[in-house]
Amino acid sequence: MNHTITTQLSNGTATFSVDPSLYPLDALYGAAYIFIDRCFVFLDKDEAGRVVVSLSPKKGPADEPTLQSWAGEFGNELLSCAWRHQISAQNRQVLEQVTSLALAGAMGPPSLDDLSNFDFSSQPLEDPLGIAMSWEEKYKKKTPAAAAGTPAVAAPEAVKP
Amino acid sequence: MTRLAFHKSLYAGKAVDEAVKLFATHATCELSETEAAWVVQLSAPDARKELRVARELGNFALGLTVQSRQEAA
Repeated sequence: MNHTITTQLSNGTATFSVDPSLYPLDALYGAAYIFIDRCFVFLDKDEAGRVVVSLSPKKGPADEPTLQSWAGEFGNELLSCAWRHQISAQNRQVLEQVTSLALAGAMGPPSLDDLSNFDFSSQPLEDPLGIAMSWEEKYKKKTPAAAAGTPAVAAPEAVKP
Repeated sequence: MTRLAFHKSLYAGKAVDEAVKLFATHATCELSETEAAWVVQLSAPDARKELRVARELGNFALGLTVQSRQEAA
């Protein structure tokens, strides 16, 4: 590999350095954590501030193609973890909102004290078009007194056959 | 004797301490500190065992560091 990751194979260990300005530290930890069960992982920093990763086999010596493939897989995991880290950072606000709503819902229904202290006098919302009117209010039968004030609609005559 | 230098910006000191405590039964460990690193000097009667313990200790310290960061986040 070139540019940001350069692999050196010596004494059965793959060593490469990673530019921390391109890959966040959390992504590096994520990739390293995935490799812990497969090989010995050691992190260090060189004089230029680059993170040096060493991968050594756990069971016996590993051949060169194996070490090369580990280095390649580590690079892939590093990129994947960096991408996931960026996505989670972008969606952090949405996740926090959803979590807070879920927690508020899990608190359960309001207590009797909460209900008794509830202020019903305040208007919950403005409804100039009467959209929020209940079905009973909208279609209730009019009393004769109320009906007298408004012109009655003539009933249609029965159609003779 | 094997010398392990855990860079302070990469490894949590508590994680290194925990790892040393765990592997103290397998090798003699001496802890020290420089400006940039937590240093562990390992010695065991068998050279192969010493290298194995040193590498396992490094893995364990890294795992604990990652876990502590995840818990903190």
